Amino acid sequence: MESNQNKPRYGMVIDLDRCNGCGNCTLACAVENNIPPAQPEENERTGITWMRVYKVDNDKPYPENRAVYLPLTCHQCDHHTPCESVCPQKAVEYDTETGIVAQIPVRCLGCRYCMTACPYHARYFNWWDPEWLKGMETTLNPDVSTRMRGVVEKCNFCHGRLQAARAKAAVEGRRAIADSEYIPACAESCPTKAIYFGNLADANSEVSQLAKDKYSFRLLEQLGTEPKVYFRSEQPWVHQKMDTKLSAAAKENAHG
Amino acid sequence: MDKQYIARGVSRMSIKKFGLWMLPWSIMLILGAYAVYLCLIKGLNQTNMDNRFAFGLWIYLDLTVIALGAGAFFTGFLLYILKKKELKAVINSAVVIGFICYSGAVGVLMVDVGQPLRAWFTFWHPNVHSMLTEVTFCITCYLLVLAIEYVPVILKNRKIKQFSSMLVFEHELHKLIIVFAAVGTFLSFFHQGSLGGLYGVLIGRPFAFRPALGIWPTTFFLFIISAAAAGPCFILLTTALASKLSHKHLVTKEVYQMLGKISGSILIFYVLLKTIDTLIWINSTSPSLGFSAASFYKFSGFGTWIMFTEIVLCGLIPALILLNKKMRMHFAWLITAASLACVGIVINRFVMTIQTLALPTLPFDQFLSYVPSWQEVATFLAVLAYGMLVYSLSFRYLTLFPQERELESL
Amino acid sequence: MFPWVYGFSWTIGNIVFLGIFFSIVTIIGTTVLISLLRAYRAMQEHHAEAIRWESEFQDLPISVRRCRHVFTGEFKQRTCDNGFDCRSCATHAQLTQHKTTNSDDIEVPIHVYGFTMPMDRLYHRGHTWVMSEATGTYKVGLDDFAAHLIGTPDGIELPKLGTHVQVNGSAWCFKKGNSAVRFLSPLDGEVVATSDGSEGWYLKIQPQTKKIDTRHLLRGREVAGWLLREFERLQAKLVDPKIGVTLADGGTPVIDFIQSYPDRNWDTILGDVFLEA
Repeated sequence: MESNQNKPRYGMVIDLDRCNGCGNCTLACAVENNIPPAQPEENERTGITWMRVYKVDNDKPYPENRAVYLPLTCHQCDHHTPCESVCPQKAVEYDTETGIVAQIPVRCLGCRYCMTACPYHARYFNWWDPEWLKGMETTLNPDVSTRMRGVVEKCNFCHGRLQAARAKAAVEGRRAIADSEYIPACAESCPTKAIYFGNLADANSEVSQLAKDKYSFRLLEQLGTEPKVYFRSEQPWVHQKMDTKLSAAAKENAHG
Repeated sequence: MDKQYIARGVSRMSIKKFGLWMLPWSIMLILGAYAVYLCLIKGLNQTNMDNRFAFGLWIYLDLTVIALGAGAFFTGFLLYILKKKELKAVINSAVVIGFICYSGAVGVLMVDVGQPLRAWFTFWHPNVHSMLTEVTFCITCYLLVLAIEYVPVILKNRKIKQFSSMLVFEHELHKLIIVFAAVGTFLSFFHQGSLGGLYGVLIGRPFAFRPALGIWPTTFFLFIISAAAAGPCFILLTTALASKLSHKHLVTKEVYQMLGKISGSILIFYVLLKTIDTLIWINSTSPSLGFSAASFYKFSGFGTWIMFTEIVLCGLIPALILLNKKMRMHFAWLITAASLACVGIVINRFVMTIQTLALPTLPFDQFLSYVPSWQEVATFLAVLAYGMLVYSLSFRYLTLFPQERELESL
Repeated sequence: MFPWVYGFSWTIGNIVFLGIFFSIVTIIGTTVLISLLRAYRAMQEHHAEAIRWESEFQDLPISVRRCRHVFTGEFKQRTCDNGFDCRSCATHAQLTQHKTTNSDDIEVPIHVYGFTMPMDRLYHRGHTWVMSEATGTYKVGLDDFAAHLIGTPDGIELPKLGTHVQVNGSAWCFKKGNSAVRFLSPLDGEVVATSDGSEGWYLKIQPQTKKIDTRHLLRGREVAGWLLREFERLQAKLVDPKIGVTLADGGTPVIDFIQSYPDRNWDTILGDVFLEA
């Protein structure tokens, strides 16, 4: 997509060396986005976690064993968005104004084709009817619509917060929102500030600078999906494990 | 007791025996109906599908029965458009089988989606870039065509054709059958292809992704050709099975030979294309996406033996048998080859659906396993039972095999 | 799906895809509609009987559809492809154009296997016969072969007076035990009289034209050849499969074969004899 000063391209850089796996981001996301409470039979493959923290290690025994925690969310793929092109009824929409890939739950048929298309496992299906226990409905966020049984949902960079920021700016007579006015729940709640969020189209933004850093990489770069979530680590084994350009370059130098 | 509904010149088992035959299938159908009820009422948590295995047994079943049901359109094409008159002997049976396969697939699909009542949304907001839209449109139209082709077979039932209006309508409908055969061929070409395209476009699944020929991935064409090859084989097998179970000669040897020969020629062509496609995938497509082809086969139970079984044992070998006249004339070899060919298609659809989803995509993913729940299996068996019931009723009361009467008197 | 639906855009993809879809639906719908309209028109114009015969004829076994010119030895093997309607058959016209004298016509009744086939009438392949009367009407009855086969029917269904019958259309019906048999009309016309068979005929028909076209009816020597084959086919079906066909040593055939051989597949046999598929 064309990078345009007027059209932001929201993205993230997640510093794996800072993430301690506390899971605050997952919790904050669940609260912000009205994720339904888990049913008793739900497990790690049927539960809904728009933001989810994975533990990645270097497969070596103690004392060489190293691990990082990797928060995984929707990467808002910028190029030939795999989930958008496959949806049979256009329930997925790449928003050209922000670069966010939106999901339309009321149009979703629940065919789950988008879930097979996504290589980042960012999409989750409502295998159960969402149910809130009596009294819990008071904890719901009024800015985010709840979903129904049998539809797919995923992270949308807390789009409700973007709408709220735009509304606030409009009240104050502004068109554009400042960077600090819009931040997703996960980035906001991270205690180690591992998640950086901002406008990748703005060359001066922090995320933009971090994304260009030599230690930053994206997952499955070679697929060509142009994800807008970058990861960063200064540990060489991480680059090796993730098969990044840096590790490839290092291998070439070694053989050189 | 029901002789007045059974055609002249053919014998059928007593209605008591027939009832006994239908009983186990009816029970299977009822069990399946209960499983469907559970899934519709309680939700898809009744299955063992999950966020990693978003497609499971049902989607695999859909793809397989639609590939095997391709015999309906292909036999129609060969008979009405290429004028291969011998196939008149099996066209009615082929239409019924096709109808069973497609209606069963659509039925299962309605349970598989999370919101079946929203099925019409695909028509209202079609996404022309999505293969699934193409599949939905084509299969709906084609099911309609199959139903229209089934109607004349029903109208020629002994009792029904006594009503002049029914007979006259059947006559007029049959005069225009070539239109339906042509439309059916056109639709089948596209939906068999786009079922393959479903997986070929998945850039996120390098195991399944294939380069494009025009606007379609190579799997589009491979699926059409494999369906055209498997179709006649399945017709051959179902005819032989019906023959065996009813202890009758239903078609002449020439019909079996023709089906086998056509299938063999298409199958060998398919094996050639599939081999070329696989080699390109191994050497170019997969590595360019950052995955070596070998890396997909290092998981226990899912080694390269699957690939060789699919292409060689269940592709090349049956093709060679079917093309060899001496072996083809030998009934046991013919049935073996036809079975192997169908198994090859079954494996191919399995590889594209289940194996694709089991394989890891992210560097820290695991290889996953999935076992269908009893509700999924019961639904699958319900489709089988439905097929047996519909086919048995059709075989008893309708003329599925026009040659049967002649062969019975010999 | 339609231009007025929210989210629609006139892209090439949309136009081509939806264009093809609507064309397909239109083609399917139109074809079904045309069939329905044609069927309706055929019913209105009383073509139902002709269509019924055309359909039934296709479903008859090959051995039943033998061309009459096999009976006279003109062909060794030939299957009729014209619904036994020799009036419109080019081959029949060719073979009979040289026969200016009716050398095949004989006056003496033919006896085959004990069945008597008088020559004062013409025979239809469905074992009905037609005989002209001085008044211009035609009598229609059942031939000796059929009479022996069925014997006395358990019930007769005769058409109402004024009913129009067509060549190869349904004329009247018998009920016998579990079987029902319908007999084909050998000519076109209006039913002016019916009878229960006690006088030897069942229907009296008044045709539309003064002279009826009888080219499709059997006469003369070919009746012998025809009846021979009919009886042989019948015998093959009646015989005990373990023993096979035995040689008859004279005598006349019994009346009411059905009663004499109650356990045979009469449904099929009667269908073959009276040309019902």
